[in-house]
Amino acid sequence: MSRLRWLIVPVVVLPLLWLFVSGFGRDPRAVASPLIGRAAPEWSLTTLDGGTLTSDDLAGTPYVVNFWASWCIPACVDEHPVLADAHDRHGDGLTIVGVLYQDDPTSASAFLDRYGDAGYSHVTDPGGRLAIEFGVTGPPETFFVDADGIVRAKQFGPLSAELMETRLASILPAARR
Amino acid sequence: MIPTIGHASVLLGLGLTAYAVVAFVLSARARDDRLLVSARRAVYGSFAAAAIGCAAMMISLLTHDFSVLYVAENNATTTPPFISVISLWAALEGSILFWALLATGWASLVLWRDRDRHRALIPWAGATLAAINLFFFAVMIWPGNPFALTAPVASEGSGPNALLQNHPFMALHPPLLYLGYTGLAIPFAFGVAALVTRRFDEEWLRTVRRWTLVPWIFLTLGIVAGAWWSYEVLGWGGYWAWDPVENAALLPWLTATGFVHSAMVAERRGGLKIWTAALVIATFVLTLVGTFLTRSGIVASVHSFTQSAIGPWFLAAIVLALGGALSLLVWRLPVLVGGGRPSATVSRESAFLFNNVLFLGLTFAVLFGTLLPLLVASTSGDTISVGAPWFNTVTVPIFVALLFLMGIGPALPWGAASWSTVSRRFTVPLFAAVIVALAALLLGLREPISLGTLGLAIFVGGVMLDEVVRGARARAGATDEAPPTAAWRLATRNRRRYGGYTVHLGVLVMAVAVAVSSGLAVDRTVTLSPGESAEIGGYEVTHDRLVVERLASDPRVIESRAEVTYRGAQSGTLGTALRDYPNSQAAIATPAVRTSLGEDLYVTLLAFDQASGEVTLHLFVNPLVVWIWIGGAIVGIGAGFAAWPERRARAAPITERAARPAAAPVEGL
Repeated sequence: MSRLRWLIVPVVVLPLLWLFVSGFGRDPRAVASPLIGRAAPEWSLTTLDGGTLTSDDLAGTPYVVNFWASWCIPACVDEHPVLADAHDRHGDGLTIVGVLYQDDPTSASAFLDRYGDAGYSHVTDPGGRLAIEFGVTGPPETFFVDADGIVRAKQFGPLSAELMETRLASILPAARR
Repeated sequence: MIPTIGHASVLLGLGLTAYAVVAFVLSARARDDRLLVSARRAVYGSFAAAAIGCAAMMISLLTHDFSVLYVAENNATTTPPFISVISLWAALEGSILFWALLATGWASLVLWRDRDRHRALIPWAGATLAAINLFFFAVMIWPGNPFALTAPVASEGSGPNALLQNHPFMALHPPLLYLGYTGLAIPFAFGVAALVTRRFDEEWLRTVRRWTLVPWIFLTLGIVAGAWWSYEVLGWGGYWAWDPVENAALLPWLTATGFVHSAMVAERRGGLKIWTAALVIATFVLTLVGTFLTRSGIVASVHSFTQSAIGPWFLAAIVLALGGALSLLVWRLPVLVGGGRPSATVSRESAFLFNNVLFLGLTFAVLFGTLLPLLVASTSGDTISVGAPWFNTVTVPIFVALLFLMGIGPALPWGAASWSTVSRRFTVPLFAAVIVALAALLLGLREPISLGTLGLAIFVGGVMLDEVVRGARARAGATDEAPPTAAWRLATRNRRRYGGYTVHLGVLVMAVAVAVSSGLAVDRTVTLSPGESAEIGGYEVTHDRLVVERLASDPRVIESRAEVTYRGAQSGTLGTALRDYPNSQAAIATPAVRTSLGEDLYVTLLAFDQASGEVTLHLFVNPLVVWIWIGGAIVGIGAGFAAWPERRARAAPITERAARPAAAPVEGL
């Protein structure tokens, strides 16, 4: 029998290998946000310490809206130091807002006590209205809004330090990076 | 302490399986029986290690030991004990541990049962099984460690996946499916052994057929239980959505079913060796592909809970299994070619071969539809989804053709069929089929596919009934037994044949139920204020009140429930709910299903307004759905009957051959 028969093996295996390898790293559920390139939703919500924060307060500086929950373990725990670090490094040049996603303020405060409160504001979102406007499917999800109030990027799932840098690059003025 | 024991047992399992692989291969080379015995004991030991690992995980879950990451992610202090126990398979790492338990269990079972048989095959089959188990233990050491610890230890975990908590079927569906998946490694292992040793004889075929049939039963029941679960839980009124993971379970089922049939022809007239080996390899590789698709997160599905690091590991396993087995096959190709006797166009052999072509066609169609989104995303970057309409269009005609073959195949004689045999056996059932189909048309069944399926089912059932009755009569006449006794004795002496008929009967019941329920189901969406009613398919459904409360069994879960009174063929009250789990993005529907033999009343709560008590309900009346599950059970019983060991296992082939001349006169009746 011809030696050519050995060709069957690579002919079957290699295409399958290529197909599956190319599937890695793509998240089939990561739907691109239709908000990108459009104005961010407007809101006015109560902060964890009882004050009021509105989207107008943030106008003029780039900001990051991070949807999270105390029950979102380990993803929200993992990205927590990344957000804190960004807050420390960029100071007034960047505002970070945490939005509680289907979570109660007591558990959220306990989470911040445990994992460290970086000092940026967290707001409650009764009824999940803001989450619906942003089209959040589950925490953590993070939206990056530039100084003109336009959504420039979205992160589906937890932020790593590198992802944070890439996403921030789309909203921070070049000089500040 | 407990997690340490668990991790240690996984390490032990790894060591024992690694030793078993080496010892099995050496025992084949050296023909050393002591080495073989010790390799076998190492496999038993790996089973014990996996069992200790599972026990350690269950204890960690039951005691809410959140120092274990898996427990922190899949358990909460409020999780009831039963849910804690089944959380063993709630997520990836635990599933693999459970998987290892079943895989080592199967390996131990086959090595123990066949300890005095197949001396040449067992070392290679054992080495293959141990190598597969080695893979699962290695996954648990490196990318998917179930006993990974977390610090600082949380005081509360996030609780099990909401879908898993919502229905007791989660205790049943995954274990059955996993039993099927893991068991199908056995025919693969025997296939590898036969390719290495060049022993593709009748003995091999019989062994492999039985070791395929037993896991096949579990796979079948697992698929049916999964369909039932999705019907009872997901709230869209259906049971099969062509979800990639449903397809993943269906694919090895199709090839395994094809194999069970082609093995009969191979046994009868020889030959088909390449074909048989290819089916066995394909079946196992497809179980790996299925697991890979489920667990790597490369396709979107209700099942892809996690994206994880085990994807590349599974991919390596697929490449190794497929590439390795295929290379073996290509290597042995010269000794596998030929050997079969040709068969007539109209004969049972050719019906079996057509059957195999159709099963293969189905496999390709389903595989293509499942992988197409991935293919398109990889080539053009677009996102597409292949939905149920595509799968239905492509597969339903093939299923109908299979149904037809199922009727005529077993009634055709081996060798060649004469026209008179064909017409004598098929005329009456054909008339019955046409009459029933016409009656159904008059009763309102309009869907051509449903009508055709119903008619076919009657035809097939008629042919089968005729076969059984003629056989029993002939035996009763020859032995003076009462006809029922004669039928039972005939069946127990021809387990494969009559078990097969029972399986076919179950498939018929399912086919009719699927055809009728998809053709005659009615549904509507209504918005009702408290006290208002709606009509659906002869039922009057009244919305009594909306109740929003915390679940008594788990206070973290808020249930919003519409309490409904229904009057019609069935009457009573029901509650249909949406449940908010703290760790779930969307509310989980808890549909209410009221089942009767004739039809199901199925009510899902879509939306509600807490202030006014107004609810939006999706109402369905689905006829005959319960018969799909009953048909599934009949299939399981029939296959169990066929696989049941004969009283004197060693004498089995002789009994079977002795039965053939007795059956021969039946042919002439």
